[in-house]
Formats: sequence, structure tokens, C-alpha cells
Amino acid sequence: MSTLMKVQGAAVHGSGGRLVEPFSFSLEAGRPFTILGETGSGKSLLAQALMGLLPDGLTASGQLFIEGQTLDLSVPGVQKPLWGRKVSILPQEPWLALDPIMAASSQVEESYRFLRNEKTNQARQSADRDLQDLGVAEAARKLPGQLSGGMAQRVAFAAARAGGARIVIADEPTKGLDIARRDEVIDLLMREVRAGGTVLVITHDLALARQMGGDLAVMLEGRIVEQGQAADVLAEPQHEYTKRLIAADPQNWEKLEAEPSTSASCVLSATGLGKTRGGKRLFADIDLAIHPGEIIGVTGPSGSGKSSLGDLLLGLLKPDTGTVRRADGISVHRYQKLYQDPPAAFPARATLKQSLADLLALHRLEEARIAPLMRRLRLGEHLLDRRPDQVSGGELQRFSLLRVLLLDPVFLFADEPTSRLDLITQQETIALLVELARERSSALLLVSHDTALIEKTCDRTISIG
Amino acid sequence: MTSLVSVQPFSVRFSPRKTLGLAILAGLVVFAFLPLVIGGADPLKQSLRLALQPPSSAAWFGYDHLGRSMAARLAAALRLSLGLALLSVVTAMVPGILLGVLAAWRGGFIDRAIGAVSESLLALPGLLLVLMLTAIVPDNPAMLYLGISLVLWIEYFRVTRALARPILQSPAVEASRLLGFGPVYILKRHVWPEIAAILLRLGAFGGASAIMAVAALGFVSVGVRPPTPELGLMMIELLPYYEEAPHALLQPIAVIFLMVLALQLLAAREKPGKERV
Repeated sequence: MSTLMKVQGAAVHGSGGRLVEPFSFSLEAGRPFTILGETGSGKSLLAQALMGLLPDGLTASGQLFIEGQTLDLSVPGVQKPLWGRKVSILPQEPWLALDPIMAASSQVEESYRFLRNEKTNQARQSADRDLQDLGVAEAARKLPGQLSGGMAQRVAFAAARAGGARIVIADEPTKGLDIARRDEVIDLLMREVRAGGTVLVITHDLALARQMGGDLAVMLEGRIVEQGQAADVLAEPQHEYTKRLIAADPQNWEKLEAEPSTSASCVLSATGLGKTRGGKRLFADIDLAIHPGEIIGVTGPSGSGKSSLGDLLLGLLKPDTGTVRRADGISVHRYQKLYQDPPAAFPARATLKQSLADLLALHRLEEARIAPLMRRLRLGEHLLDRRPDQVSGGELQRFSLLRVLLLDPVFLFADEPTSRLDLITQQETIALLVELARERSSALLLVSHDTALIEKTCDRTISIG
Repeated sequence: MTSLVSVQPFSVRFSPRKTLGLAILAGLVVFAFLPLVIGGADPLKQSLRLALQPPSSAAWFGYDHLGRSMAARLAAALRLSLGLALLSVVTAMVPGILLGVLAAWRGGFIDRAIGAVSESLLALPGLLLVLMLTAIVPDNPAMLYLGISLVLWIEYFRVTRALARPILQSPAVEASRLLGFGPVYILKRHVWPEIAAILLRLGAFGGASAIMAVAALGFVSVGVRPPTPELGLMMIELLPYYEEAPHALLQPIAVIFLMVLALQLLAAREKPGKERV
């Protein structure tokens, strides 16, 4: 096994001190390396320092050894000759990284022409061969807009590595993907590893780390707290944080006691619901009766219409067929929704205190109800004076929960409420959500792409798509 | 409106550019309105023996061809220009914003109908529309104001519609509606804070173009009639005396220049990243 790249004491410094502690590791051919950590742990900064892509105001230190060369990371721009030729980056959300007005194969061809100085004809053949190898030959003459997400990902991958780089850096390659698509990405990355290259994966996704195998380093607050073979670290974590992280994986959750509703009445019922979007039938003939205090999970691949189902039930969308009926005599405001991206669900320029005060005034609620709820949701008073973009995603999602709980919901539709949160925060948030819904006999419709999460949490499950 | 304006449209610390714009504008306002407070010469009073007198220590701005005080006339003309510009911008802004939000909100027929009206008005050159109106009812500043407002509102309508549409479709607005908030709240909390800075900037540009339009119409003798002091009118009146009294002709030109410059400086966009609105 040969070492492709060695990193000695790489660290990142900001104006306020060291953000990432010195870290040394080496990338071996045929052996992936994964850095696992949650948002804000500094794992992306480390990757940016290696590539020379740090934002203004931050500086790197340490050394990089690659093919007999020694590069000083504190010198800006020293890595530039490596880009594309020795090290390439798989872009996050590759469909955004492709040129929208250029055919797929031409984008790959450019790498061959300009990085490897191939002649136009030869470069075109090389590009077509790459696309064929990746099973997307039919994409060659298409524009990125005409490609599916998975195909675009393959094209971007082909373009990224056409320059001959044997080291691929992938920063959160599975962000926002469902399981099927995640497996595709892993397959792509492993293809590189099998071909004798290597991959440095930066992720918060435990499943990705497990499937990549190879070496694993766990990062917390800018420090590597644990390092070793992925299989060993994940099977027998030593550090407290790694243990918590692994326990927070929905697969390892304890199954919550199902409490089938005893109530005969239902708060919401639907018969023969069907919906088509963009000429594609999402689902048809869904019959559903939702009882107070019931927790119902909805799973399905992305684009299958999970969220649309919830929106139909809330009346935010109109069904193509079928009807939705609410129970008589219940205020319309007791049917509420939690959103996937908490910062997008609050007025952006008002403080949280202001938003809550508006709600209290509108429904003539007592202010005294807020303090106990805030304690219950572990939200500090000091957060009230902040704007939505100044608190963390987990805190803001708990504020969303606080906001809907003030209206005593009988039905709550939670649309991927934790997909943007870290594992540990996700576990806490889901636990609180379920606990409070049970306590207040509010029905909960929980939509998630994560089947394990749904299985461990819900009384019953609807699977669509 | 007062509660809507409570959101700070500009940063608390002005950039040098905005400070300069604000200073020039404040200077012009003081110059225009001070005579009303402390009293001054009558802008209409003629005394032919003073005709075309150059500036002196007694009269800093000199006298025009009929021996009227240039200082008094400039101040009166400024009051008219600034007042008309402010009135036109406000009159254009309020319906422009409301119709823009309405079109973005309701979409469909209403959107197309208002869009069609605005586009047909846009098909006419702005100045021509004002000219037509002033030709129908001559010698009436109200027509001038109406014409300018009719031209200006389209800009606010289009910008508001484009900006408001994504905001109104955002999850934040959906959440607010589910929580029971009505249109006024959504306008106040979601839409206005996001569009205020851009629209106020547009307002400053609109003010500048209104001032230019009033002056241009005065220059072709369509707007207000003599002896009312008006900057464009003053220019055309003083043009024949350019040889004898260049100072008199240059004064209204300088005032227009300063006024438009001040508004443009105020409206100028900060460098991206520097702006915190």
C-alpha cells in the first residue's frame, strides 16, 4: 500500500484563536479516510485548509507531503497546482456545480483538454468513455437541467476526476439525500478507492462513515477525539462523545412504546386521497383516520410526495381526488405544522420574542404560559432577544414546537423536522416532540426519509412511493 | 404607515457616501425653507434697476433679468421641486407597493390585469404621458404631479411584485397563516422588512427623476407658468441673458445638479457585504 498524501500538524487559526487543533494523518491508496463530526466541529475547515480554500480571515498551518513535494499550508495558494491534477473536490449538491448551459460530456471534456492537454477529439473520446464507464452514456449530449439528480452527480464526479487526481475530497457528499441516492454516492466514491485512488470524506452521517470503511477520525470542537479503523471505532467507541454519537443514530434508538389510541373519535380523516404533480402520480386512494395522541410515520423516497400528503391533510394543498375531513367543533388553528428548515419558518427580521408576542396578542393568550414551556423545551431566556438566524437549528426547531404548542394542537404535521439537525440534536428533538404530543393528546404525523427513525418512534407507518 | 416604518430601513451608521448625500440634501432643504421661517425677499417682486446685478455681499445670489432676487426665487423653486418630488414619490409608492403585493399574492387574473395596465403605461414614454396630461389641463401643477406619479408607480409595482412573490410562497408565511395571522401581519412582518430597503432606495431614484421631469417640462414651457419660480422655467428665462449674466443661468442648473446628486448618493448601493439593512 502506498501513501498518496501525508498531512503533518494541519491546523486552522481565526482572529479569536485556534479553531482546529493540529492534526496529522495520511491517505493511503485504496483506503478511504473519513472525518466524522457535527456542524460547527471544524471538519469542513480542516478540508478547506488542506485545499487552500479557507474563507478570508482564517489562516492554516502545518505541512502537506504529496508525491515527494512538501507544501507549507500557511502559504496561501500553494496548493493550486494540485487542484484537479492531484486532488479534486466532489462538489456538494453537484447539480448546482455543473454549468447549466453546457452539455454534460463537454464539461468532462474540458478537464481532459485543459488539465491533461489532450487534443479536442481525444478529449471528447475520453469524456464519453468516462460517462459510459459510469453508466450515464445517454447523458453525454444532454444539459444538466435534463438530467436526474443521480445522473448529474455522476457527471460532476466524472468532471471532477477527469484531471487525473487520485485523491478525491468529498465534503458532506450525502447531504439531503435519501438512502437509495446515498448508496449511489457511496458506490461512486468506492469506485475511486478500488481503482487505487483514495477518498477523504467529511461527513456528519454515521451510516456513510460505516459504509465507507477504511480509517475514521471523530472530530469535536476542533479536536480529533478518536481515530482508528472505522469498523473498530464504530463497534467499540472509546471516547464519551463517540459513544453518544453512535447511540443517537436512529438505528440504535430504543423502540418507543407504541400507544395505540383508545379514542374512537378521530381528529382528521381522509378518504381516497390522490395527488399528481408534474404529470407524475404521487399516490392514490389513501384512506386515513387519525386519532388523538396517535403518532403516525410517513416514509418513502425523496420526491414520493410524503410532504404533499401532510400538506393535503392540513389543507395547504388541494387533493386531485378524495376528501379530507376535520372533526367538528375544533378551531382551525389547532392543526399545525413543523417545518424542515426552522430558520425558513420564522419572520426573518423579527426577534423570537417579537414573533411570540405577536402570537400571544393575536390569540389573546397569557404570557405566563411561555416560561414553563421554555423550561420544558430547555430554551434559555436569553435566546428570546435573538433573530431566527442567530440561534442554532435545534433551538429554533424547539421554538417552532413552542410556538405551535401555545395553540394546543390536536394535529401536528412534522415535515422532516430533524433532517437538518445533527444526530444528537435530532434524538433530543424527536424525543421532546413525541413526549409533548403524547402528553397533550395531539396526533403527530411524522414525515422522514429515515426509515429507522420512523420505525423506532411511531405507532404505525404509512409507506408511499 | 407609522408602524410599518418602524423597521430601520438604513443602517444606523451611514457610509461616507450617504453622509455626503444627506448633508447636501439637508443644506438644500434649509436653503429652501429658511426664508419661510426668518422671512426674505419676495420672489415675485420686480425692480428693474437691479436687473442682472451680479452677486454682492448684500445679495449673495444676485438678481435676474427683471430684478427679482435670485436667492428668493431659487428657494421658492426648490420648495416646489422638492415638494412635488416627495408628493409624487409617495403617491406612486403607496399604490405601487399595495398593487404589487396584491398581484404577487393573488396571482392569476388580478396579476395579469394589473400587469397589463402597467405595461400599457410603460409603452408610452414617461415624459410624453406628462406632456399629454398637461396639454389636456394646462397650467395646473396638479396635472404635473398626477402625470409623474402615473409614470413612477409602475416601477414600485414591478419591483414589489417580483420581491414579494417568493416571500409570500415561503414556509415562513405559510406558518404564519396556519398560526392564524392575517394579511396585514404578513405584510408588516414578512414582506415589508424584506423589501423596505430596496424600495426606499428606489424612492430616492424616483425623487431624482421627478425633479428632472419637472425641470424638463418647465424648460419646454409646459409645466408651471411664469411668474411662478421653477428651476426649468428659470433656465429658459435666463438663457437669453447668458452673455451678460452667466451667474444667473448657472444657479438653477447648479441647484438641480446638487439635488439630483444628493438623491443619487443617498440611493447608491453599498458594496455587498458592507450593507446591513
